[in-house]
Amino acid sequence: MLVDLPGGWSPLLGRLAWSQIPYANPILAPLFVAVVIGAIIVLGLITYYGKWTYLWKEWLTTVDHKKLGVMYIIIGLVMLFRGFIDGLMIRTQQVWAVGPHSSGVFGSLHGYLTPFHFGQVYSAHGLIMILLAATPLLVGFMNIIVPIQIGARDMAYPYLNALGLWITAAAAALIMISLFVGDFAHNGWFEYAPIFEMQYSPGVGVDYWIWTLQLVALGTTLGGINILATIIKMRAPGMSWGKLPIFVWASLSANVIALTSFPALQVALGLVAADRYLGAHFFTAGMGGNLMLYTNLFWIWGHPEVYFVILPAFGMMSEIFPTFSEKPLFGYITMVLASMAIAGVSWLVWLHHFFTMGAGPYVNTAFSVATMLVGIPTGVKVFNWAFTMYRGRLTFNAAMLWAIGALFLLLIGGMTGMMLAIPAINYMVHNSVFVVAHFHSMLLVIVYAIFGSVLYWFPKVFGFKLDEFWAKTMFWLFSAGTALVFVPMYMLGFMGMTRRLEYVFNTGWQPYLDVMEFGIVVYTLSVLAFFILLYVSVRDHAKNRVGADAWGTSRSLEWMTHSPVPFYNFAVLPHINERDEVAWRRQHGIDNVRPEHYEDIHMPNNTGVAIILGGLTFVLGFALTWRIWWLCIVSLLAIIVLMIVRSFRGDPGYIITGAELQRMEEEAYRREAQIADSHHSHPVSGGVVGNAMAYQRNDSSK
Amino acid sequence: MSHGAADPTMHPEVQLSTSKGYFLGFAISAFLMLVATFLVTSHSVPPFGLLMVISVCAGIAVIAQIYFLLHIDISEHNIWNTVALVLFIPLFLITIGLTWWMFSQLYLRTMDMSVMSSAMQPAVHASATPGMAAMPGMNAHTDSGN
Ligand code: HEM
Ligand SMILES: [Cu+2]
Repeated sequence: MLVDLPGGWSPLLGRLAWSQIPYANPILAPLFVAVVIGAIIVLGLITYYGKWTYLWKEWLTTVDHKKLGVMYIIIGLVMLFRGFIDGLMIRTQQVWAVGPHSSGVFGSLHGYLTPFHFGQVYSAHGLIMILLAATPLLVGFMNIIVPIQIGARDMAYPYLNALGLWITAAAAALIMISLFVGDFAHNGWFEYAPIFEMQYSPGVGVDYWIWTLQLVALGTTLGGINILATIIKMRAPGMSWGKLPIFVWASLSANVIALTSFPALQVALGLVAADRYLGAHFFTAGMGGNLMLYTNLFWIWGHPEVYFVILPAFGMMSEIFPTFSEKPLFGYITMVLASMAIAGVSWLVWLHHFFTMGAGPYVNTAFSVATMLVGIPTGVKVFNWAFTMYRGRLTFNAAMLWAIGALFLLLIGGMTGMMLAIPAINYMVHNSVFVVAHFHSMLLVIVYAIFGSVLYWFPKVFGFKLDEFWAKTMFWLFSAGTALVFVPMYMLGFMGMTRRLEYVFNTGWQPYLDVMEFGIVVYTLSVLAFFILLYVSVRDHAKNRVGADAWGTSRSLEWMTHSPVPFYNFAVLPHINERDEVAWRRQHGIDNVRPEHYEDIHMPNNTGVAIILGGLTFVLGFALTWRIWWLCIVSLLAIIVLMIVRSFRGDPGYIITGAELQRMEEEAYRREAQIADSHHSHPVSGGVVGNAMAYQRNDSSK
Repeated sequence: MSHGAADPTMHPEVQLSTSKGYFLGFAISAFLMLVATFLVTSHSVPPFGLLMVISVCAGIAVIAQIYFLLHIDISEHNIWNTVALVLFIPLFLITIGLTWWMFSQLYLRTMDMSVMSSAMQPAVHASATPGMAAMPGMNAHTDSGN
């Protein structure tokens, strides 16, 4: 063995032993029982209703980008909930453990979490929220919306898409299992050298952290490649770059960042793994290692990553504002340039996460200036959204409220970011809760944009609208929670409260912590409102059905096909005439045309390989974490063999004949005609109306 | 689904690949790695020279892999490969260059340079390196406060 393993190792089970199951833990043991009971109930219900075949055929083996996107979003929401519970636990510990006289339970001197357990909670919270909640939610939306917005029938690589999803799911499963088997890292979501070295963190926590991150990085990179290839190669006829919907541009810039930055993370993690598994010294204090090199490598990825998550959110806002202002987006070209500029500058600023390293005035100044440059394109975007709304016919429905909320949070987060970008200020507030408040403002921009998008695109994917009353209730509760938690947090930051305190020594901070605890209770109410929202909307779905253009004022291509979107997206590929194609067609009175003739189309087959590979990567991650070498070898070999077999077999796809297509389309039109306020469409011959081309001409080769 | 999506072997980048190319790429990389390993373990070159030789080996290995294994060339039908390659160059310069810069500045301030330089170049006498006061960005009279 290359490194000393404290606490035993056996060839069969690696480091795994019964003592690693925390059955005596007063929090985890009851939770484990609840999870097992919940799982038995769910599995039982699926069996009782005989839904296994449906689940396998329609969801688990699907390569349909919309279903994969929905599953990404479900994973994201589940992990968002888990991360929220972690947040609730952090807040509760901090409001409880204030001052030397505060009580302690469950073996903790103060509060209810021991320092080690508290460390795991906040580390898992950060990692989950950024990489397993925000990222899958955004990737899910890009997956669903991008192909429809560019008029494609699927992603460029449908099977790769499924693979990316199942690898992400494996990562989520790995971090979840760390709750009940062994423990998770306790040194923060981005870890520090050399505390993550074997001598200082001998448990499996850091190993769980390494392999969870590696899997997310892999899954997201695969997804990024796919989205880029789709945007470049699969656009409908007539859709030149200048006519690309703005969300597609946002996805493009975001995925350029993903593709170029995730490898840096994977290398950094690989080197950490070399230290921990092979006894290397990349990040040790002696033997030629360099501690700060780790921080450097991590943030080379870390800062681009924060823009990878914010750019799609900007794209979502750019779709919601015009629709509910009934105006085209102000400054399309500048918006595109701003996205690209943000993507470019995001590569030049990573040192602002460690100004205090002490690289000196020249380096700090250069990175400070570069960081502040990001404010220019971001400012351009803010003004563009403001001018979009200016003199528009505004509809303040729930989706719009979330988007406006995101705009306000962006201002707060951006301004505090600018403050942090000044090294003199940064030296004062670095590692204080002021930084925590800054990036929560920013990440909440994303959460707001996501909830706005859930409301905005839900009718497109499922064919009915969500309930406005409960959506607005949720919005206001959530916003009250945001204010109550983060305003005091900014103030505490200025007062010098450092981040990640499991014991708060200053009793003078108690009132602020009380307000924050109240805020998290309000947040909890908003989570309840979300569940009620889902329940009420599904219950009343028959009343809230919508036609193709769910909002009546939509602009981009996804609103041209039926709601819910059929699995082939477009029966006949549309021909793109203008930037806001649907708005343009509405203006020119050709929004309700339909093709007269249907051609055969070619679609990809389902495959079970992706989910099996996902399962195998989970096994590999678990085996690596526990150092069960035989299992590592077996699962790795299985992965390689399966990939080779699949590559040789390929997928011939299958054909939907024109006649079949016609039948399905007519049924969809009939369904739409039953909805009260939808327009009635009539067929056009040859795909041409007046002098405008509505559909791809049958005779034209692309 | 333009050109022959059903048959991946018809894609130009697949058409370009030959087993001879793969073996050549593999052999060159493996050979260069062996050379580097030998140089490191035998300590036959002084540290700075070692750094240079290994960097050159790594550079050649990268080029060989790009050409033989990834088939990235600058031809017309592989235009997106070229775009990716062009994007890669500034990113490479940024990550490596700025890292180099920030760490050299950090070392100026945190490392005992006499130790550093004697480790790097045993032949040079320690006093040849500048003292703290002479470094860029450092004020000769700063230590009055602390
Ligand atoms: C206007 C643009 C922005 C500026 C100028 C800015 C500036 C900064 C600075 C200087 C820090 C380092 C603070 C410290 O540790 O001392 C920081 C931290 C952070 N920022 Fe931003 N930021 C900006 C936008 C964003 C965005 C868009 C996001 C994410 C969506 C984000 C997420 C974060 C995170 C996650 C951290 C801290 C990570 C950690 O220490 O755990 N920032 N920001
Ligand atoms: Cu940053």
